[in-house]
Amino acid sequence: MLSVDVEVDRRDFPVRAALEVAPGERVALFGPSGAGKTTVLEVIAGLVAPRRGGIELNGRVLTSTTAPVVDVPAWQRRVGLLRQDPGLFPHLPVRANLLYARSSSGAELAALARELDIEELLSAMPARLSGGQRHRVALGRLLLAHCDTLLLDEPFASLDAALRRSLTTLVKHLSSERSVPSVLVTHQLADAQAFADRLVVLDRGQFLQTGAPDEVVLRPASRRVAELVGYLGFVPAGPSARPGAGTAAGVHPDRVVPGADASRGFVVTGTVTAARPSGAGWEADVVAGDAAFTCRLPSRPDPGRLSVTLLDPPYFGQDGTLLAPGEHIRAGHG
Amino acid sequence: MSPGDIWSALTGAGDLQPLLTSVLSGLCTLGVLVLACTPLSWMLARDRLPFPRVWEAGLLCALLLPPLVIGLLLVFMVGPYTWVGGILNWMHQSATNTFLALVIAEVYESAPYYVLGAQAAFAGVDTQYEQQAGLLGDRPGRVFRRVTLPLAAPGLAMSLAVAWARAIGAFGAVVIIAYHPFGIPMQIFVTLQETGLYSALPYALFLLVIALPLPLAAYIWSARAERRRRG
Repeated sequence: MLSVDVEVDRRDFPVRAALEVAPGERVALFGPSGAGKTTVLEVIAGLVAPRRGGIELNGRVLTSTTAPVVDVPAWQRRVGLLRQDPGLFPHLPVRANLLYARSSSGAELAALARELDIEELLSAMPARLSGGQRHRVALGRLLLAHCDTLLLDEPFASLDAALRRSLTTLVKHLSSERSVPSVLVTHQLADAQAFADRLVVLDRGQFLQTGAPDEVVLRPASRRVAELVGYLGFVPAGPSARPGAGTAAGVHPDRVVPGADASRGFVVTGTVTAARPSGAGWEADVVAGDAAFTCRLPSRPDPGRLSVTLLDPPYFGQDGTLLAPGEHIRAGHG
Repeated sequence: MSPGDIWSALTGAGDLQPLLTSVLSGLCTLGVLVLACTPLSWMLARDRLPFPRVWEAGLLCALLLPPLVIGLLLVFMVGPYTWVGGILNWMHQSATNTFLALVIAEVYESAPYYVLGAQAAFAGVDTQYEQQAGLLGDRPGRVFRRVTLPLAAPGLAMSLAVAWARAIGAFGAVVIIAYHPFGIPMQIFVTLQETGLYSALPYALFLLVIALPLPLAAYIWSARAERRRRG
């Protein structure tokens, strides 16, 4: 079990993190660049000292700022950190890199090399490896070091989508198999959803929402969280849908269908101001009264008026927080 | 000048003594540089020293000042009437006209070349590797031995080779505080003064022969290490 409750001073804003990760559980810290995600990992790894708080890993106190003060050095923490640059030692061949921590047997090395599909590379130098191979070797090195937790700092961000997916699946499988708590940091929602059992949304050093990945996307706790998880507009909501009434429905571009069908969600009618191809469909910019939003449609929308249905959208009150189901109707009347 | 002329010029009684003195003092200088200046270079590269700009300014002064001036400064620093000189005198040693003085002069002339080169070599090692080695369980000393040193080694070897060439050919500071015992540069100077250019040339050739192999070996080794790293 990894348990973190810390406050870290940074030049721009303090980072506050409270997190518990069970053995074998996978948590993703998701947020924009500069939100403090990497800082959280570096504090857990012992590379940055917190101003206040504590960290425990499998019952071992790694950091405590209250008496008795504890600050276990990084080399004694047994924490594995994989960054975007896998950091293979360039002067050592793959085998020596894998066995760097010297805590594993040859049989374990052979089995893991087979699992990671790097058997043929053991005598190669890191400079000869492709991006994906380097990440596999770096991952193997952490696993052979028998780390008690796995911290992943956007490790596959520079790889293509297919490779990223296969490596993410591999890490998921290995961390579950070894019952290691894992924390992934990313600013790509798709990566976070593909990896995690639990998603934590982080912005300007604050944990805004924690929950199952689908729950966070479908029911963002606030307008800010909604913006971060991909909502591309907010339209006035409530029975009269009066502008300025204070209640707004979030528009997620993937949860919009053309046509007015009030039984499936909230109907919005507006004017298409621009349309462009997006993936297998089209993306349209729509203006509805004072509000503007972007949505994805299966076919090119006709210029002019357009009615769409927002499928079961989240509603936000005047203060920007999520309203309970049905509450937007009461709020609209108010 | 034929090989016979060179041989006869160098086989007189005591003619090989300057060579021996230069090689021994050069090796002692390298020892001092490796032991004292390697940690200093690492600390400068990793900003672990207080007032780093002051240290760098000191090194640049030693690099840019004419060696003769360094010799004069050394007289004021380790001469017989200084407190260092007093301590040395108490230990029945002297830092003027002795082998120790020769080593001190060579260290002062070559240290800036080694420290600045080694600092660049250490600065070129990405701290991410050191961090990663630490996270894999290595304490700082082991990280230095297993990661930092091997990665900086080609740059360190080249810096050491340059320092060796500077030390073995040191003359300006040497002529001020270590006129005796004669190393090869001093022997060249004295022979030139006393018997002319023709007699001094064999010593110049000797200086070249003992000064060049180390830089050459360092260059070849560095190139090989780089090739091996590239796979």
